[in-house]
Amino acid sequence: MNIVSSPEEKRFRAECRDWLAANIPSERRPLDATDAVAFDKAWQRCLFDAGWAGINWPIAYGGRGLSLIEQVIWLEEYARAGAPWIGANFVGINHGGPTLILNASDEQKAYHLPRILKGEAIWCQGFSEPDAGSDLAGIRTSARIDGDMLVINGSKIWTSFAHVADWQELILRTEAGSRRHAGLSWVICDMNTPGIEVHPIRKMSGQFEFAQIFYDDVRIPLANAVGGIGNGWKVAMSTLNFERGTGFIADQVKLGLEVEALVSKARASGAIRDECIADQLAQSRAEVAALRAMTYRNVSEVARNGQPGAEASVIRLFTAELGQRLDRLGVLLAGQDILDFRYGDDTLVSDYLRGFAGTIAGGSSQIQRDIIGERILNLPKSR
Amino acid sequence: MDLIPSSDQKALVDATIDWCRDNLPLEQARSRPIGLWSELDAMGWLAMTTQDVGFDHASEVLVFAELGKSLAPVSMLSTAVAARWTGDRRKTALFFVDGNKMRALDVDQSERALGLFESRAVIAALPGGIEATPGLDLSAPLAVIDPALPFEPIDNPQAALHLQLLGAAFAVGCAEAARDMAAEYALVREQFGRPIGWFQALKHLCADMAVRCAMARSQLFYAACALDAGDSGVAFHLAAAKRLADQAALENGRGNIQVHGAVGITDAATPHLCLKRAHMLGFLAPPAMDILLGEAA
Ligand SMILES: Cc1cc2nc3c(=O)[nH]c(=O)nc-3n(C[C@H](O)[C@H](O)[C@H](O)COP(=O)(O)OP(=O)(O)OC[C@H]3O[C@@H](n4cnc5c(N)ncnc54)[C@H](O)[C@@H]3O)c2cc1C
Repeated sequence: MNIVSSPEEKRFRAECRDWLAANIPSERRPLDATDAVAFDKAWQRCLFDAGWAGINWPIAYGGRGLSLIEQVIWLEEYARAGAPWIGANFVGINHGGPTLILNASDEQKAYHLPRILKGEAIWCQGFSEPDAGSDLAGIRTSARIDGDMLVINGSKIWTSFAHVADWQELILRTEAGSRRHAGLSWVICDMNTPGIEVHPIRKMSGQFEFAQIFYDDVRIPLANAVGGIGNGWKVAMSTLNFERGTGFIADQVKLGLEVEALVSKARASGAIRDECIADQLAQSRAEVAALRAMTYRNVSEVARNGQPGAEASVIRLFTAELGQRLDRLGVLLAGQDILDFRYGDDTLVSDYLRGFAGTIAGGSSQIQRDIIGERILNLPKSR
Repeated sequence: MDLIPSSDQKALVDATIDWCRDNLPLEQARSRPIGLWSELDAMGWLAMTTQDVGFDHASEVLVFAELGKSLAPVSMLSTAVAARWTGDRRKTALFFVDGNKMRALDVDQSERALGLFESRAVIAALPGGIEATPGLDLSAPLAVIDPALPFEPIDNPQAALHLQLLGAAFAVGCAEAARDMAAEYALVREQFGRPIGWFQALKHLCADMAVRCAMARSQLFYAACALDAGDSGVAFHLAAAKRLADQAALENGRGNIQVHGAVGITDAATPHLCLKRAHMLGFLAPPAMDILLGEAA
């Protein structure tokens, strides 16, 4: 156990820093959804061309073949440099791609992984349904096998990036009459297939960032199943492990910068002289430091054992709640200015409102606490 | 001493609840029908404590808490206070002073606005043609006026206390609306084959909302009675009522969104309306630290 970077790690960090300093786009990520996607794709392509996409992905599929440690170093430097949010590439890069690497056939990998890395293919995640959110095993959207095709009917909801996605990681009930975790399949769905309708949903922050999707006799090749028909639950769990375990490293790093911004703001306005505010800032700084340490432990765990430990749920919960505390502190420091927020604005108020999703999406904080109690503390299972 | 509403007061509350259900549904908070204001005026709520009507503040907060639960127009507060202390019953917008600026809410059909400045209630004449559009609180069109308009104090220092009291009543209503919405959803939404309210994590979250409401409402009643009785501790009790009501509104606003899951963060659902209203009410007559920490009441 030590915190000293190896000479290689140091060299890698310097390399990241130099490249970012010279190449970060000068314009902000556009607000308009279509423009934003074009921006995200172009930036991802630029990262790929320079060898910064898929740092820990296999070389065979366009990655760099380095470890998660290098990936974290990159993300730290990335955040520090103020580089753009990953945006529409989130699903493909953070859990769609990793799920394919672990479970897909060589053909599937060879087709999809380079496209994800190059920013050519935007992915979305079709897991949640109107009646199956926290209870993912309650999904009902089904597919019947018809020769070498799957015929899909049903609906998914809260699908982020659905309106701009080319592909979807879709979990379906492929065995009629099956219940709960059995009879599910994880399939790659082409979002341009006839019979798919996307209805965008507006958030309380004003943006249309997710959607409800309806499938009406949507036909996709049976060969698009990943990990085999009927093995969907296992594959989906690996997706969630990536989403919860390592998908939020960028967010964790960003929180550190947010605290520093709040401290400077409170210094400039004099609010830091308020003991209660000073206390919250001090606590947040300590927590961000601990979060970073916890992330390093998690990454070290992956480096040793190939997968994140049960502590991933602790990190996920802590990150989400710390993020919300920081958003609230930001709102407090902004005073009456928050009242001027209007739909379409991109300010700390929209961040605050969107931040409510942190304790809901990708496993709510109630569900995370259940997991921590049951898997780490071995308390009796409640469900 | 008796902090339970009398039978007359209960009847008044029931009538208010019935009227609100039919005429002031929370779901419509962001676009109320034109003509609502004259109906509100006709109900007599905007002048309850004026000399010629003569209700006490205790009865008034009972009504205003119910109105607050429907996220009623926030200018009801400023209008009721202006009517009581200036005798002028016309619609009066609400404003907050912020440095050199002022923010006026609900200015439609108003020729004047009421706010607080250095703990005194003050009135500003509004010029015609002020543009107001929905801000964070979607129920109250907002105009930022920079520099602030000139304003005149209302002679009686009670006016400021009155505004704080009614603001607390609205915040209690807002907190209760969020509590009820959460409990209702926890009962009907099912996951893992059970209503989500069955799970203790959610049941306790809802229970905490109820505790906040009970505390805030009790202190609200006490403060209203203290104002009616000319009690020497009234400033403290009002400040305590407003603080707890604001906290309850904000915390319940957040909890209600969590209970609703992803539904709770959509624009189409109603939980965010309570949260945003709670943020707005926090700037209305915020309780002063020196009063809360002054000599014990
Ligand atoms: C911004 C955002 C983006 C999203 N993007 C996607 C996406 O791209 N793809 C996708 O598939 N999904 C997406 N989701 C959906 C997300 O995964 C679900 O919101 C989440 O799983 C919770 O489900 P739900 O919203 O149906 O809430 P519910 O499951 O109905 O939960 C409601 C409340 O009940 C609580 N609850 C439920 N079960 C229990 C229990 N057993 N014990 C205690 N409390 C419980 C929850 O914690 C919550 O507070 C997104 C959600 C958000 C908010």
